[in-house]
This record gives sequence, C-alpha cells and structure tokens, in this order.
Amino acid sequence: MRPRFIPIVLLAFVSTVSAQSAPAATDSANETSIPSLLEHIQRLEKRVSELEDNQRKQAAAQANMTPPAAPERPAMAEPPKPEYPTSAPEVREAEIHYPSLQIRGFGDVDFSATDEKGRTSGFDLGQFDLHFASPLSQKVSYFGEVSFTARPNTYDLQVERTIIRYDYNDHAKISFGKYHTPISYWNTAFHHGAWLQTTIDRPEMVRIGTPFIPIHFVGLLAEGNVPSGGLGLGYSVGLGNGRSTILSRAGDSGDANNNRAWVASVFARPARFYGLQFGGAVYRDKLSPEHGPNLSEWITSGHVVWAKERPEFISEFANVHHHEINSNHTFNSQAFYVQLAYRLPWLENKWKPYYRFEYIHRPQSEPSPDISDLVGSTLGMRYDITNYAAFKAEYRNSRRGIDEPRINGVFLQTAFTF
Amino acid sequence: MMADWKNTCKVLAISVLCLIFSNCVLAQSTHGMDVAVVVHPDTPVSNVNLTEVRRIFLGDRQYWNTNVPVVLLVRAPVARERNVVLKVIYQMSESQFKQYWIAKIFRAETASAPKLVYSNDMANELVTAIPGAITFIDARAVRPGAKVIRVDGHLPGESGYPLR
Repeated sequence: MRPRFIPIVLLAFVSTVSAQSAPAATDSANETSIPSLLEHIQRLEKRVSELEDNQRKQAAAQANMTPPAAPERPAMAEPPKPEYPTSAPEVREAEIHYPSLQIRGFGDVDFSATDEKGRTSGFDLGQFDLHFASPLSQKVSYFGEVSFTARPNTYDLQVERTIIRYDYNDHAKISFGKYHTPISYWNTAFHHGAWLQTTIDRPEMVRIGTPFIPIHFVGLLAEGNVPSGGLGLGYSVGLGNGRSTILSRAGDSGDANNNRAWVASVFARPARFYGLQFGGAVYRDKLSPEHGPNLSEWITSGHVVWAKERPEFISEFANVHHHEINSNHTFNSQAFYVQLAYRLPWLENKWKPYYRFEYIHRPQSEPSPDISDLVGSTLGMRYDITNYAAFKAEYRNSRRGIDEPRINGVFLQTAFTF
Repeated sequence: MMADWKNTCKVLAISVLCLIFSNCVLAQSTHGMDVAVVVHPDTPVSNVNLTEVRRIFLGDRQYWNTNVPVVLLVRAPVARERNVVLKVIYQMSESQFKQYWIAKIFRAETASAPKLVYSNDMANELVTAIPGAITFIDARAVRPGAKVIRVDGHLPGESGYPLR
C-alpha cells in the first residue's frame, strides 16, 4: 500500500516548492519601509469611496465601449480585478506642467580629530546645498545649485551651478551657464552632495577649493550620446572662461584674459557590462594668476568606474601640464586615486566598507601655488541609516609634501538629503 | 509479486502524470506573472532589446525621436511589477533606485524623476493619455488595444521573455 502515497508525497512536494517560490518573489517587496506601505494604504483607503462610485460608472461605460483591436499576444491567465481606477484629474496631474520647480537639499555634519600639529579637533557643519531643477518646456530645462559653507564669522554663499539647457535630441543637448568641469568623473558624478558619495570627502585632486584641476567652468557645453551600438558612447564639448586670477575659482564675473578655455570629454558605457564606464578628457586654458607668471595649461585625464555597489570601483588619473609663457619652462603634475567599496549583503544591505588610495605629485619648481605632494589612504565604513541619510566613519593616514611626517586622523560624518 | 510490480508501475505512472500536471500549472502561473512593457500608441517603437529597455528606464535615452520625449511611468513601491523591473532592468535595490534618480537629477542629466503610478489601471490610463509614455504592467492587466512592445523579440507569455 505504501507506494500509493508516492503521488500524494510528490504533490505535496510540488506544492511546497510553489509555495516557497512565491515568497521568494516578494522578498524584495518586504524590504520596503513601513512608512511607504502606510502611505500606500492611506492612499488606497482615500480612494475607496470614489472606487464604489466609479465602479458603477465604469461598468456602464465599458458596456457601451467597443474595445480596439488587441495586438498579437499569447493567451494569458485570468486578468486581475481593477484595483485603482484613475480619474481625469489624476491624468491631468500626471502630465508635465511648465515650469515645474523641484527643490532638493543636501547637508552634512562632521567631526574630525587628527594628530596634525596646530589643528584642533571638533565638529563642523559641512556644506548646506540646495538644488533646483525645473523643466521650462518639453525641450528646455533649468538646473541650479547653491551652497552655504560655514566660515569663522559668516556663511559663504556660492552659486555652484546654474545651467539652462536645450535638448534637440539624445545626441545634441546644448547648455549655457556654470558647470562642474567635465574633466573629472567625480566632479560631474557627485557634485556637492556628500550623501551621494560613498566617502566623507572628495579625493584631493578634485577637492573643492583646491587648484589642481578647474572644478568649475563658465560658458557653454554641448553634450549627448553618440550612436555606437552596444558601446554606449557619450561626449561633451565646452567653451568657456576657464580659471579666474584665483586659480581655484572660475571666471564667474568674466574671464581673466582674452583666451577662452575649452574642454572635450568622451566616455563609454558598454551595454554588455552594465555598470562599467570608462573615458577620458582634455582641457586647455591660458592662466593669468594674480601672483606669478602667465601659464598655458593642458590637462588630460582618464577614468574607469564600476558604478555598481558589489563592488564599487572608481579610479581616475590626471596630468596637469603647465608651460610658462615667458621662460618656456614646462611642469607636469600627476594625480590619481583608486577607490574600492563593497555593499555588504547582510544586515539589510546597510553597511558599505571602503578604501581609497590617492597620490599627487607636483614638481618643486611648479609656479602654481597651493598644490602639494600627497600620499594617502582612507579606510572607512558607510552605514545607511535610511534611504536618505547615512553615517560614515573614516580613518585616514596621509603625508603632504616631501619629508613631512605622516598624519593620522579619525573623521565622522552624517550626510543626508531632504 | 507480479501484482506488486503492476501496482508500483501504476503508482509511478500516476506520479509522473501528477508531476507533469503540476509543472503545467506552474508554467501557466509563471507566464501569467510576466510584466509587459507598454508604450503610448503613437510611440514609434514595437521591438527593443533588453539593453535598450534598460537605457530607456535608466533615463539614458530621453527621446523617442526629435519631437517625442520619453515619459517614464513607474509603479510605486510594493508592487510586484516594480520588483521585477528593479531586479531585471535596473539590477538595483529599492534604496539604490531612489538614490540613482536623486543623483541623476542632481547631475542635471534629467529634469525630473519617473512619474509614480499606483496601480495597473492607472498605468494603463496614463500610458494611453501621455504622448511618449512608457510603463510596465502585469501582462494579465494590459487593456485591449494597448501597445505592448516586444523585448528581445518576445511578447509576454512567450518563452524567452525576460521580464518575469
């Protein structure tokens, strides 16, 4: 008699397998936060009264409608019941309105303690950053970004970006304004929002306020995709004022000389390796610094990025070539960094350890001030408190200049967007 | 002995039939769970590969042609369709998806994030009403006459269809 149980056992097994496969499909759904579920439920509840009325009206309307010809489709299982009828006002609401201003803010609070002589430990407010985005028409949009940075006796307000853009199509988009110069991946990927970047600070070669590369660029920029099949090529070409007489700043109020700067960059995002991006850029300018000789500047850079988080890999290199116009002396400074991070799959994917090595070499005779040699390592951990806030802790070990002692430091940050 | 053998064969045959039946039921329900990619009826596209679908939903392709922008309609969290799209197209978690669009707008690469829709009905309604719109809908809930596009040459329900 025992063999007769086999079909029952097999059926039970199959049922168990199907039952187990269903929760697997909804695992990620369960990860969704309770507030968003409550929000969804509230919205549904709000619609219940309308649903009852609409159901009657819909049934009557559908009975009078002749459905248009359906596309060729294989037979499907029983269609699910209507769950949320849409009203005409909602359709109107979903359509794009112009202008349609959206504001988003970024902020961070930091703590630092180092063994560097003459430096005190303590808290500081990072940049308070506001971002504005507004489509003005189907093809014209505006972006703006302002930052407030704490100074000893005031707050420094800066217009970081202000861009008006016209899109002809995916291949040609032209804009005017102030940008983050597309000479560096980091500079155009993370901007001023500390929450967006894995680490507490930018790499030294692209740190705001340092003159290694021009962080900002005022002028016009053409950008877009290049038809290239699976290679996913993109480009940007810009013409602008270049650096001001203070080399770490852009020429917001006008160029420092009659020579325009230009920048050209190209990148690839191969479809076959979703997450991979690599590319390079060239920047040309003539510098007329407040102090020191006039220089012509060539910057070349390259980057390789794996933008996913398991792992995350970002690496950049830049060579800054300066040619002293009067004396014909040339100087080449190099910088690179390699950053590796990995989003741990446990504990709700909230933890992300990371490491970055960075290096800057500057010739001793280089006339451009405020750049020093650097060899440094950063080891840290990012913990995402929510979808919109993160806590970061870092240990840094670095040496600036030649024959200088190494500096150790502990840095903490809570960064958020709102 | 012979009777036992016959019984065993009978039981095995029934077991095999049961298995085949169960698999058929499972396969049917899996096909029913396909997620259809639906576009506005005037959208000049009917067959795209998964890479192109990814480019569209990532906001890297923003225009169907010079005059028609892509309008993304994405299901709100907790919808199964959203989970399928996050897993297959975006290959991101919910928080990565949110961060991705914040960063995309912050980089000035797009002026707005995808519009949220709260049901298949709402998706059906809006994709028909908004020129250039594209969305994903439970294949069983696609309204007659809606423009369902092939992905990698397959429609929902066909073997090899990637969005399930």
